[in-house]
Amino acid sequence: MGLAAKDRIRAKLKEDETTVRLLLAHPMHTGRGKNEAGELIPAEYIQDIRCWRNDDEVLTIKCGTATARNPYFSFQLVGGALGDKITIRWVDNIGAKGTAETIVG
Amino acid sequence: MADNSFEQRRAILKGAISASTLALVAASGLLLPQRVLAHWPTDAFNAKTVEDALLALLGHAEVVDDSVVQFKVGTPPSYAVNGASVPIEIQSSLSDIERIAILVEKNPNPLAMSLDFTPAVKLPFKSMIKIAEDSLVIAVISAGGKLYRTSRMVEVDIGGCA
Repeated sequence: MGLAAKDRIRAKLKEDETTVRLLLAHPMHTGRGKNEAGELIPAEYIQDIRCWRNDDEVLTIKCGTATARNPYFSFQLVGGALGDKITIRWVDNIGAKGTAETIVG
Repeated sequence: MADNSFEQRRAILKGAISASTLALVAASGLLLPQRVLAHWPTDAFNAKTVEDALLALLGHAEVVDDSVVQFKVGTPPSYAVNGASVPIEIQSSLSDIERIAILVEKNPNPLAMSLDFTPAVKLPFKSMIKIAEDSLVIAVISAGGKLYRTSRMVEVDIGGCA
């Protein structure tokens, strides 16, 4: 897969809400694109992203092929405290998995 | 003797059943890798029209257009140079949001994203999507048993559905 880039995640607490920003390294091939030789690139895209705060699952993002390459997401969590652990796990359509975690700062 | 052969038959039958069950499970798992994610709504994401996608995802395609509710799609662009990554932002005054669907009307598979919310999550939600050609971008929020829909026209220079 040659994923040189890493998944990145930041979480910041500000005025009683936690902002989570997430950047995943993934090509997100839809299965309709072609390479230089004109051959179809098989579909390869993230389908399911889950987010935990400490031990609570807070958000599920399900993606179709229309999510952009190297997907970016940003969302807010109500409340939170310094030191909370935010964990992300993703799975793509061919079964590749990834995880990222950060501490709220 | 009769009893004995009966027992034997039962054992053979049982073995055959469990073996075939196992084979079935293995085959379905191997042949359809996306079935591993049983919770991923395949029908909704493979739907060819907005209505079908919403029907598959949210159960009923009937949507309340409520002007009282304010939420918006696509902060910066009504015009995007590159359709391969168009920033979108969903904002709403609604509370108790259960689910948000983001759709691009003209894409081959309109459903771009489906978000399952818990009360711990707050908007705005931002992300980037691909838009194949000039199209309506539609956001549907499911909250309190109702669906709220808003849309915004986005024009793209270079289609982004590679």
